[in-house]
Amino acid sequence: MKAKKYLPFIPVFVAYLALFLIGETVSGIWQLIAMLAFYCALGQAFNLFMGMTGYVDFGYVAFLGVGTYGMAITISKLYSHGLGFGLIAIGFALAIVMSVLLSLAVGAVALRLRGAYFAIATIGVNEGFRYLIEGAKLWNGSEGIIFSGPLRMAFGRQTATVLTTFAADVFVFIIALAAAFITLVYMRGKVGYALTALREDEDAAKVMGINVTKYKIIAFITSAALAGLLGASAWALKLTYVYPPDVFEITYTVEAIIIVLLGGAGTLLGPIVGGLVYGLSKYLLAIILPGFQLLIFAPVIIFIIVTFPEGLVGFVKLKTRGTWLENYIV
Amino acid sequence: MAKRLFSVLTCLVFLFILGVGGAGAVTDGKIVIGHPACLSGKFAKAGEQATGGIKAIVKWVNEVYGGVSVGGKKLKLEYKYYDCESKKESVTSLLERLITVDKVDFTFAPYSSGLTLAGAPIAEKYGVIYMDHGGASDKIFKQGFTYIVQTIGPGSRYHEGTLDMLHKYAPNDKKLALVYEDSEFARAVMDGAREHAKKLGYEIVYEATYPKGVSDLTPLLSALKAKKPDIIIGGGHFVDGQLFNRQLADLDINPKALSLIAAATLPAFYDALGNLAEGVMGPSHWEYGVTYSEKAAKKAGLEWIGPSQDEFVKLFKEAVGKDIIPDYHAAEAGAAVLALVKGIEKAGSLDQDKVRKALGELKFMSFYGTWDIDETGKQVGHSMVDVQWQNGKRVIVWPEDAATGKLVYPMPTFAEKAKGKKALPK
Amino acid sequence: MVGHQLAGNLIQGLILGAVYGMATMGLSLIFGVLKVVNVGHGAFMMVGAFLALSTFKLLGLPPVLAVPVAFIVGMLLGFIFYRVAIKKLIKGPELSSLLATFAFGIILEEVVKLIYGSEHRGYNWALGKFSLGVTVVPYTKLIAFVGSILVAVLLYVWFNRTKAGKALRSVVEDSEGARVCGINVEWEYALSFAIGLGLTVSSGVLLTLFIPVGINPYMGGHYTLKAFVIAVLGGLESPYGAFFGGLIFGLIENGSYLLFSSFPSLEPFAMTRFFSFVMLLIILLIRPEGLLKTK
Repeated sequence: MKAKKYLPFIPVFVAYLALFLIGETVSGIWQLIAMLAFYCALGQAFNLFMGMTGYVDFGYVAFLGVGTYGMAITISKLYSHGLGFGLIAIGFALAIVMSVLLSLAVGAVALRLRGAYFAIATIGVNEGFRYLIEGAKLWNGSEGIIFSGPLRMAFGRQTATVLTTFAADVFVFIIALAAAFITLVYMRGKVGYALTALREDEDAAKVMGINVTKYKIIAFITSAALAGLLGASAWALKLTYVYPPDVFEITYTVEAIIIVLLGGAGTLLGPIVGGLVYGLSKYLLAIILPGFQLLIFAPVIIFIIVTFPEGLVGFVKLKTRGTWLENYIV
Repeated sequence: MAKRLFSVLTCLVFLFILGVGGAGAVTDGKIVIGHPACLSGKFAKAGEQATGGIKAIVKWVNEVYGGVSVGGKKLKLEYKYYDCESKKESVTSLLERLITVDKVDFTFAPYSSGLTLAGAPIAEKYGVIYMDHGGASDKIFKQGFTYIVQTIGPGSRYHEGTLDMLHKYAPNDKKLALVYEDSEFARAVMDGAREHAKKLGYEIVYEATYPKGVSDLTPLLSALKAKKPDIIIGGGHFVDGQLFNRQLADLDINPKALSLIAAATLPAFYDALGNLAEGVMGPSHWEYGVTYSEKAAKKAGLEWIGPSQDEFVKLFKEAVGKDIIPDYHAAEAGAAVLALVKGIEKAGSLDQDKVRKALGELKFMSFYGTWDIDETGKQVGHSMVDVQWQNGKRVIVWPEDAATGKLVYPMPTFAEKAKGKKALPK
Repeated sequence: MVGHQLAGNLIQGLILGAVYGMATMGLSLIFGVLKVVNVGHGAFMMVGAFLALSTFKLLGLPPVLAVPVAFIVGMLLGFIFYRVAIKKLIKGPELSSLLATFAFGIILEEVVKLIYGSEHRGYNWALGKFSLGVTVVPYTKLIAFVGSILVAVLLYVWFNRTKAGKALRSVVEDSEGARVCGINVEWEYALSFAIGLGLTVSSGVLLTLFIPVGINPYMGGHYTLKAFVIAVLGGLESPYGAFFGGLIFGLIENGSYLLFSSFPSLEPFAMTRFFSFVMLLIILLIRPEGLLKTK
């Protein structure tokens, strides 16, 4: 009975494994797979909080941003200390610490608010933080940090190339899987129970004696830490530079929302489907119709959301209720 | 219902196959250039110019020049580009697709220092030459990349010529204000300008920056007004430059000279500001009207390649299908193609390392000016020109040997300009 | 001297704030009635900016004449988009409409790019200027200021003095009750979406009177962000609150510059932005219903 709880993880795992294997075996598409994995991971980590609570964190990209800075600062300051791969480990650790600290600060202020007020407060945090970095000249201010050179000096040309063009993407896969797994654990545990109650009716949940705030914060911090890791790998390690406007760009939050809603908020498979549909259609249109792809892309988005308001996976989930598939599609 | 599920899955698989496939083009008998261009998003304007410039030169190489001679054969050039939407995620995946699926021979970087950096590790991984035509940061070349080659000049020298010129024309007007955008690129210009100004004995009465995406500069400008500078230099990109000029006019701030990077030299600047742009200057990598020619090359003892300036403009208009004059974004991208052609011919092979080595030793002149890189790939040969708007036309006023007219100094006041006065040399 | 500058900055901030405020009224109206967050807000303003540009450059008419045209264009777009997507989505999961408004924004940007290209444009409507001692104000800015106030007043009158306006207000206050009273709620939704976008597009025209340069398809992005903040200052659901929120925002942005520029190690402009977002958070904490709501 206990194992049955984790059955839905099978399709998730298979999907990521298939994606990984395709990327590995077909030559020349690794970066495409990496981009898709990034979008899936972004959706997966974002969904962990938004899907379960119904709160939309518009400033979510800030967690990716500080995570990116965590890795960038580590590599650019400590590269000459001969730490080996410890350098990367410290980078990830710092990314988690920074994103968790920020999430605590944001949570303390914003989690008291609901609905659109919460969404806009988090925008305020994201933009405010970016302008604080530029205005107070934190971490090199607007000049950013470029650390391709330091990375190469720490690991040598060969290893640095592998790190930026392969290992960073593998980390993204791991983060996506971890995010999916944690989502499932939360869904099937106390957190999920409490948060479902919250999503239905926050006040009623409070009256019933559920410590809503505690579970909200748990989900919020987890989601933020995953975002920090994602920033540290997909933006810092992979691209080896950071400029404040690039990593606090609100478009990424919007993309995360789109991916989650396309797939179906609160579903486990949703972010994968959403990420693949979003990433692939953009990529294909960019190749087939360079310069005009957005003109096609936007109506497609409208079409999908109007036809499947609960998202693609949400739709399938409704339709498979009561069949054997029910155990797998969550 | 299982049917619906099935059709959703089929669609996904289909999309996937499309994305993966598109089978590699065999590139026998031609040389393919791959470019993850910025055709939409925040750099769409520069991207349109750059692709137009590249198309123009590719056409020239194939039809006028007769192709690139490698090992006794004349190979045609082919240009393949995708739209990266000015986004870093797309740059890496599209660049890899170009290199591995489309099997292009050489690659071009997207616009801006950031996006150029995003693609650099991919180019390094596959050991493919990566022509930087729009990333001006000096720092790109301190990272130890091997295959990146710059055509645009480094940011730190943008305003040096301007100061030299003003120093010569008006040696007594020494009150200088520096107002730049707070971005990596503009700060590099600012640092270079500050150092040079001190050397020339300027007194910096005001110095400030403003963030990207600013929509109102009033508080900064009213502080600036109080300092009564003779000369204001600054700027950042297109929008803020227009805003800067406009709000100087709104607040009646009248320096004797105003020079803005990036924005002021573009036709859109005058189009947007009208008469208020009269007498405003800007440094530029290239401008329609520069005097680089085959003759000038001979005089300087340099090899010459490429179309003449007028030919280039004609080809560019055909390539973009609009009647617009190319700006420096188009010219520098086009010149990068010419450098590549020269490099390949010099190496006598398509081998990346041989071509890279040949590019390192290459020095030539084209309609864009002199081209010469140092060992890191940074452009050191190219020099800038200073342009001033005079009676609705861009006149090159510095350096003197490239000039097409004389500087108007001081420029008319904004009140005079609002009444229709033009900046005309006496 | 410093006092002079501060006064000048505040006057300019007040004018800009009125334009900001008017630009946010549509956003608040749409949110108040439909609970739809229009993330494509800035793109609709951009359409207004291009209408102003075309009115002046192609037709040679004063750009301010584009305001009524913009209002009609905005309403038309509103009805179309409502029919295509919003109608179905307001009943769907919360915020699914957000995807649609995001996509509307993209469509507008790309269509305008197809027509006008991605060049940064501008126009120069010179009417002269007048001096206030501490600062100089061009007449075009004065028109933007007066125009913004006028639109706000008109909306107020329409809401409170006309039958149609009162019906809409009753939907905002209690949509179920309104339905019972025989008001066609469906129509009121469509109408308020259309009016909201009409206001937003016309605010784009007025904005260009303040800043007549930098007009390009992608100019809207940061106005969307600003509008969100201003909307919250004003209580998010109230168009008039939004107008006063805009005034306050303009004053803060321009007023705090002098303060921060006295610290040499800071970049004062970025700090004014930082400051306005900190203000936003503080207001949300102590008065989540907005600074100006009396209820």
